[in-house]
Amino acid sequence: MKTIRILHMYSDMLDLYGDNGNIEVLRYRARARGVETVVEHHSVGTKDTDFSSYDLIYLGGGADYEQQLLAEDLQSCRNEIMKAYENGTFFLLICGGYQLMGEYYKDSNNEVIKGLGLFPYHTVASLNKGKRCIGNIIIEAELDGMISKIIGFENHGGQTSATDKAFGKVLFGNGNRFESEDEGYFDKNVIATYLHGPLLSKNPKLADYIIKYCSERDGGHIEMTPMDDALEEKAREVLFRRLLTRR
Amino acid sequence: MGLYNFLTLQLGKLIVKVLKLLHKGAGNLPGLILLGINKNILGYFKVDCPIIAVTGTNGKTSVTNFVNHIFEQSGKNVITNKLGNNLDTGIVSLFLKLCSPTGKIHADYLVLEIDESHVPVIFKKLKLETLVVLNFFRDQLDRNGEVETLILKVKSFLETFEGNVILNGDDPNVSRLGQANPDNKNIKYFSVEKYKYATDKIHEVGEGKFCPMCGNPLEYEYYQYSHIGRFKCSRCDFGNNDVFLRVENVDLENRRFTVEGREYNINNRSIYYVYNMAAVCAVAKLYNIDDEILRDTLDTYEVNNGRMERFSIGNSNAVINLAKNPVGANMTIRVMNETNCEKELMFVLNDNLADGYDVSWIWDINFEIFKDVQRVITSGRRAYDIAIRIKVSGYDPSMIEVYPDLDEAVEHLFSTEGEKFIIANYTSVQPTRTAVINYINNNKEQ
Repeated sequence: MKTIRILHMYSDMLDLYGDNGNIEVLRYRARARGVETVVEHHSVGTKDTDFSSYDLIYLGGGADYEQQLLAEDLQSCRNEIMKAYENGTFFLLICGGYQLMGEYYKDSNNEVIKGLGLFPYHTVASLNKGKRCIGNIIIEAELDGMISKIIGFENHGGQTSATDKAFGKVLFGNGNRFESEDEGYFDKNVIATYLHGPLLSKNPKLADYIIKYCSERDGGHIEMTPMDDALEEKAREVLFRRLLTRR
Repeated sequence: MGLYNFLTLQLGKLIVKVLKLLHKGAGNLPGLILLGINKNILGYFKVDCPIIAVTGTNGKTSVTNFVNHIFEQSGKNVITNKLGNNLDTGIVSLFLKLCSPTGKIHADYLVLEIDESHVPVIFKKLKLETLVVLNFFRDQLDRNGEVETLILKVKSFLETFEGNVILNGDDPNVSRLGQANPDNKNIKYFSVEKYKYATDKIHEVGEGKFCPMCGNPLEYEYYQYSHIGRFKCSRCDFGNNDVFLRVENVDLENRRFTVEGREYNINNRSIYYVYNMAAVCAVAKLYNIDDEILRDTLDTYEVNNGRMERFSIGNSNAVINLAKNPVGANMTIRVMNETNCEKELMFVLNDNLADGYDVSWIWDINFEIFKDVQRVITSGRRAYDIAIRIKVSGYDPSMIEVYPDLDEAVEHLFSTEGEKFIIANYTSVQPTRTAVINYINNNKEQ
């Protein structure tokens, strides 16, 4: 039986509302396709993590304080994490995880946290702590050649510089910066985004895209049998109607 | 009082009267209007009695009602915001209703529930005697920001405060406030002795992983619920408090505990409730409330109002409990699991402004521990979101029914007989009560 190996980094620190739910959704949908999942953890002080042995590396969002606490540990793993990315491990990065993999993050206290520099973007938070991008967000992204609406909730002070590889185009909400058109960062084996919700809870197509990538990266083929997503479809419908029709 | 302030006050009193004539409850509206025209208005009320304020994430309304009750039973004339209008706008509205034409508020005590973020704003203008801080959990992150931001707001107020501070010594987020003003000699911690279902590992999402004083990992001897428990920092000795009031021998099955050797019966079976009662006992001790009054209050007084409120119809019993955050919902699920019989759950989830638009907190609720739940009904503006969450936790989706309309949901809930638990979030709890009460009134046996 096919197994997806997931590394959940800093799950004890980057655990803002519900982000751990992304792992639950992946396991739930993988299991329904006969794909097993193994979730292992890396936190501050974990020794000898073999990053390249995982199919998926996941980082959620955290508060400024926690992001500072873990920055040093993250730097110490830089080479191994780079290697995993080059070997095709998929990276799913939410909010803080997104920011930390860029060049740097300047937080709301004007403190610079060095990023891993895995991807060519950087983030600067407004010094006014009250000034944040907060609210429901809908973007349009292309997954496997299909245009799909992705829905989530954003809550970030950080303003991330434009990249030519945005995850999606903003239909409702702010995105990478206040009232920007682009959201997130997307490449062959990385999706980095500000979307909480948790992200995968109302975007089953996106969850399946990641499961398919992770289970086929060694050359195999996996049959993504359709699931009963009636609840998810209804939840999306309610929010599309509420948020998109008033424009 | 200047003429301008005097005139704003008269205008405010007029608004309250007009609203009353229109049969509208005052709520926050008069305060909202008045603060809009004169943001200093709070400072012009003249309060001639001590103020006791209750703040914290969960339990404010209950504790405020209990404290109000013990003072009233002691024959005192108390003014309180029972219904939880706990922002500056709510307090101004309350004062407008009760003050003399020159802004005097006359009572023996003011007992106020205050939102955490409004503690500094309100008590910069009003003289506080005692602040009670219950707990800090993640709550409505999109409205409040990180929990740390809220703690720092209360801390900044306490740095220059010299009055009484009653703190939950078992919550590191609260306990740290005891060091905000090293010169304040009036810091009183309350604590609850380890109870039967306390755990070695944290059972539900919580904060408190690191020492707020030095950043070292905190060590826990046990967890009562969420991050509430016996903790200490081995580096800086944080957590080693002198306890002012300790609740001991907690016996949830028989609903009782002891304080300083005296036994008290309580009205509810959750550890979360015991902590609220510990805060009430601490206030009673500080103000020398007669022990018989305290005993009688703990034994018989109920807040109801959607806080573990019981209803019954025919052979069915229902308990409605408010949950604005994962800790609140997890507590109801604990109580459900400790009830050894088959049961059904209804979850009502809204995402109005006062709830926070972000509903992702439902993913921090521990539904995996569900026991003997025969059916789940979901309702509210985000009925589908909560249904998805429960489904992904492993619960059989064919046993989940979604009815966004509340009356329809309640009707289906009572289409079977038995034990029902209802969890409703902030703006849904009153409509849910109303729907249940209407259903019961319309379906009483003739």
